[in-house]
Amino acid sequence: MAEADTLTYEAACERMEAIIARLDSGESGLRETLELCQEGRRLVEFCAAELDAVGRGLEELRLDELVARLEA
Amino acid sequence: MPERRPAGIPGSELTGPFPVGVYAARLRERLRGFARVQVFGEVFGFKAGRAKVWFELRDASGALPCSMWREDFEALGIPAPADGVQVVVAGGCDYYPGSRTASPSFSFAVGALHVAGEGDLLAQLERLRRALHAEGLFEPQKRLPRPQLPRTIGVVCGEHGKARDDILAGLRRRGWGGRVAWAFAPVQDRHAAPAVTRALQDLAACAEVEAIVVARGGGSLADLFAFCDETLCRTVALLRVPVIASVGHHTDRTLLDDVAAVSCSTPTHAAEAAVPLDCGAARTALAGQARRLERQGRRALVERARILVRLSRAPAAHVERHRTRLHQQLRELRAAARRRVAHESSGNHGAAVALSRRARAAATARASRERQAATHAAALVRLAALDRRRRDLDRLALALAAHDPQRTLERGYALVEDSAGEPVTSAAAARGQLSLTVRLHDGRVPVRPEPPVP
Repeated sequence: MAEADTLTYEAACERMEAIIARLDSGESGLRETLELCQEGRRLVEFCAAELDAVGRGLEELRLDELVARLEA
Repeated sequence: MPERRPAGIPGSELTGPFPVGVYAARLRERLRGFARVQVFGEVFGFKAGRAKVWFELRDASGALPCSMWREDFEALGIPAPADGVQVVVAGGCDYYPGSRTASPSFSFAVGALHVAGEGDLLAQLERLRRALHAEGLFEPQKRLPRPQLPRTIGVVCGEHGKARDDILAGLRRRGWGGRVAWAFAPVQDRHAAPAVTRALQDLAACAEVEAIVVARGGGSLADLFAFCDETLCRTVALLRVPVIASVGHHTDRTLLDDVAAVSCSTPTHAAEAAVPLDCGAARTALAGQARRLERQGRRALVERARILVRLSRAPAAHVERHRTRLHQQLRELRAAARRRVAHESSGNHGAAVALSRRARAAATARASRERQAATHAAALVRLAALDRRRRDLDRLALALAAHDPQRTLERGYALVEDSAGEPVTSAAAARGQLSLTVRLHDGRVPVRPEPPVP
């Protein structure tokens, strides 16, 4: 699994689809199933956090304000 | 072969008649002799033939059919002008005299053509477009990965334009509530292109900015020309951040639209393209995925737990099965032993009985042999007595038969009986009966005695 700081929402979604497809196939063993579930849970948390990050309401600022904030 | 010249029209004062081919050739010479000039007007009905292109030049008071060698036109590097495009043409009159099999035609033979006004801008634009395309500058932006869910997007637009509101509306429609960094810039005068270019560079310099929207409402082509600026377009083509362009309407395609990662017809659409993910739908989908994961995880555990339980029960069940079988075998063994013992003991008993029976039989045989001699003598005496008794019995039977009433009846006698079946042996007794029965050898006849005669 990609590290959390390089993981993107779309990569997480893609991986989650793959995990669910694997689980749905019913071919994974117990250990794999549990590991996939755990990984899937982490991905869901990551995606939820990403959605939460853009779910608090629009924040508008001018470019110079953004630059100032980043430099502070 | 020269044709025979017919007679002229009687009474006509005009010279001739001349052969038409000669006249047409002379006409072409005269027309070609006209001064070569520049003419301007609006193009109408442009069409390309195999060797030439054709169009009319029109204005309010007149029109002129024009032709141009096709290779001359293509050398200009401009698209086929649409109706109404202002052009200046340079050339002179020409006449195609035709022949017996071809129609004649007049046209203004164009040697040079220049698109005027907006048309001129379009021609420049087309040249620049070709140049950028040839350099492959339309591609880099399209190859940039576009984040489905950016946290920060940059927007370049006019500070007070309608585009700003449209973008906010588009972002809200996505259910997106991230951070918008505005980089306001003039969007229509000669300051626009450098200002927009600088704004784009500044936004792209912020690591947080994941996508940039450049937006402005519709305007004249001259207004939108700022977004066809070569420096601006080259800058955008090489930015590390995907740029979503929404400049003017879809009919006015600027060069920015060509180099940008995405080109949209309205600022609202541009905002939606900057945030490809519909956040509301994504939340619902994510909840569904989380539920599926939980369900799958639980199911995998429960199923295996069930198998484990079954497996853990198996040895006990196995032992129990064996125990039951063992008990049964034990019972069968006991029963078999009992049967065998009983069988063996009954065999012994039989032998003993047989032995004693044989001993008894031997003793009995001896006694019986002794008895037999005596019995034989006694039997001879008994046989003689029996014979005698049989003879006495025969005699008695004969005597008895002689006295049988039935025998008497058979000889013609009749027996009179009363109602009880008793023999009536006197007339007096017969008179006293109400009814009598006369018994003959072959049956009975009921009779009634007559009443006594007085």
